[in-house]
Amino acid sequence: MNQQMMAAYGQQAPVGRMSPHGNKICRVAMQQGYDLFAKQGSMIAYNGFITYSPYRENRGARMRGRAAGETLELMQCSGQGDLYLADYGADVVMLQLQGNGISVNGSNILAFDAQLTKSIEFVSGIANKFSGNGMTNITLTGNGWVAITTRGTPVVLDPSQQETCVDPDALVAWSTGLRIKSKRSARMGALVGRGTGEAMQVAFSGAGFVVVQPSEDSTDRFKIRG
Amino acid sequence: MVEFRKGQKAKLSDLTPGTDLYVGLRLDAPGLTFDISCFGLDMQDRLSDDRYFVFFNQPKSPEESIQLLGAQAGDQESFRVTLDRVPPQIGKLAFTATIDGQGQMSQVASGYLRIAVGGQEVVRYAFSGVEFSTERAVMIADLYRKEPSVWRFAAVGQGFDGGLKALLENFGGEAAEDEPAQQAAPQAAPAFGAPQQAAPAFGAPGQQAPPQQAPAPQFGPPPGAPQPMAAQQTMPMPQPQQTMPMQQPPGQFPGQPGMPPQGMPPQGMPPQGMPPQGMAPQGHMAPPAPGMPGQQMPGQYPGQPGMPQPGMPPQGMPGQPGMALGTAQGGMNQAGMGPAGLPMEAQYGFGLDQFREVQGQGRWVQQNPKMIRASLAGSTVKVIAKQGSMVAYQGKVDFKFQGQSLRGRFENRQTGQSMELMRCEGDGEVFFAEDAANLHLVELAGHRLCVNAANVLCWDEGLTLEVQRIEGQGIPGGGLFVQTFSGNGTVVVKTMGIPMVLPVNPGAPTFADTNAIVAWTHGMQVSTSTAVRVRRTAYPGHSGETVSLQFRGMQGHFIVVQPYEV
Repeated sequence: MNQQMMAAYGQQAPVGRMSPHGNKICRVAMQQGYDLFAKQGSMIAYNGFITYSPYRENRGARMRGRAAGETLELMQCSGQGDLYLADYGADVVMLQLQGNGISVNGSNILAFDAQLTKSIEFVSGIANKFSGNGMTNITLTGNGWVAITTRGTPVVLDPSQQETCVDPDALVAWSTGLRIKSKRSARMGALVGRGTGEAMQVAFSGAGFVVVQPSEDSTDRFKIRG
Repeated sequence: MVEFRKGQKAKLSDLTPGTDLYVGLRLDAPGLTFDISCFGLDMQDRLSDDRYFVFFNQPKSPEESIQLLGAQAGDQESFRVTLDRVPPQIGKLAFTATIDGQGQMSQVASGYLRIAVGGQEVVRYAFSGVEFSTERAVMIADLYRKEPSVWRFAAVGQGFDGGLKALLENFGGEAAEDEPAQQAAPQAAPAFGAPQQAAPAFGAPGQQAPPQQAPAPQFGPPPGAPQPMAAQQTMPMPQPQQTMPMQQPPGQFPGQPGMPPQGMPPQGMPPQGMPPQGMAPQGHMAPPAPGMPGQQMPGQYPGQPGMPQPGMPPQGMPGQPGMALGTAQGGMNQAGMGPAGLPMEAQYGFGLDQFREVQGQGRWVQQNPKMIRASLAGSTVKVIAKQGSMVAYQGKVDFKFQGQSLRGRFENRQTGQSMELMRCEGDGEVFFAEDAANLHLVELAGHRLCVNAANVLCWDEGLTLEVQRIEGQGIPGGGLFVQTFSGNGTVVVKTMGIPMVLPVNPGAPTFADTNAIVAWTHGMQVSTSTAVRVRRTAYPGHSGETVSLQFRGMQGHFIVVQPYEV
């Protein structure tokens, strides 16, 4: 069999803790003592000795998560080897946090280093308006790697110059420390069938970044699997 | 491009005016290897002159009207046939494939023979193993003539039980003479003085070597004859020959034709790279994607298909001079490229910097293949967009309901394909995207483009819009809802996946699935055609391709098809 075609997709030397394989697979170089939290079911392959255990948050966090409609189904991966993660063909974005923080839509989390501190956070002011739409976020801070998923190639916007408004369905992540408010662009006409389909946005301003995906489908694919 | 079926025949002049043909063949069969050859037969269909049996061991006919080029551009084997120079005693060129070793033709998963002229595929005959059983050889297609200069093309697809021997006997050749020659290829090879002796250790050196011959690099499926000779004269010939054997991956059998090192069909790769001509049908000549180790093997040399090559100007649709829609297409091509000339779907690195907003100049700026930014500042022209297609905006932008004319609304209701629109105005920048589909900016400079309504995302307000409905039985929803744009401005067209632009040849109609068609140039004759024969429908399990759109037009027209059927 001609293996040359496949050779192009072979393993590549890892560059860091997390490295991309194509644009849809995240490769994590696992080491003893440096555990990883990953979305349950996101492992597609591994080699070496890696064990997986379901991660259960303490009761308080679970209650809070359930109340927020956003529970993170995570597994803790530990061991030594190479771990490959993917989420239903979504694009994967890997970034390294160096003391700063990132706030990610819960369904867009793929994996993050266990040493990061995470907290479920309501987006102040608009949480109640987006009930059920996952407008609670996981905030990760510390030093380590985070892999997030997006539907399609994302665009990173800079809200420092002018206010940046994002459709909540296309919003993936943003840096902590931004000013956030909800913006209503619907007019009276929307009530009589003359809407624009753009009723509400989340507005950001300040120094940092906002990650936007080119799709307004933010549903969690793993929920299909049940 | 015309698809031929088994038994179909046509005058070549109906397919293409060209006589300098590129003939490419491919047979996919797990574990099988094929010897692909061309028999130059006389008017009595007999191989009266052995020198016109062009195969790996005799890569060209005496006057070089038939040349074997080797694997390239996704084809396992390819020929260059210059019909004008074929001597008058030769009446038929039969292209055949024979199994080398064990196996039978029913194991062929798929195969095709295609003819390209000037870089454009004009005809393709595809077949599969289900048409065969235990045969060991197949006559795939013929180029033949009855009158001296009227060549015809026939898709034959005739199997032969006895393999090459039966084939040779069928042509009146002397098997006793040719068969040993073939089996003893390595030994016999030097006698021919062909340049492929660099790899005599291989059973079928012809498969690896021919691309090194002079004609190969300059004669790919892309631009035809007029190629700069300088490029290949400066080619370091000996070097690739020496590195050739090393390209054989360990564990691979030597002499496997069809698995030449350079045989990695570029189009077999994921859509990593898009050539500058983006949506042109020659997309398989894509330059290797950056960072794909498999393509950066030692021993790659200029002229190898899939390598960007100075002597091969990326052809912007040859044969379409004075294109009425030059700008429209130019816009499409540009859209095929990501921002800053990045190839589409380029490989990712780390971090977020690579995804930063592309500033860029102009009203419409492509952020990445899937997102487009429209700057509303400094212009009174507003943007009309499909409702809900905005993913983000910066600055002060208002979104208003965009009403449609009474007639438009009536048509919407009639077709069931309502398109709710909004108008974006203000002083900021709006980012448009939908369903992670690929977006393409099409600049209309006074030209007209018909776009399937489902594939329109947004456009400049100044454009004139006409709504049209193509009716036909079998089209889902009873009809196809088409919007014709004209005027000066930009339309954003979305496609699921990387689309393909097919030129419409004046001679033969081009067909497209109604579910996959995205756009076409205005001014063509569009009709529906039902490809299903009556007897087919009487049985279950027909081809599934019931109705298609047929396009007929003059030079310069094209259609855009997406790799996704709605």
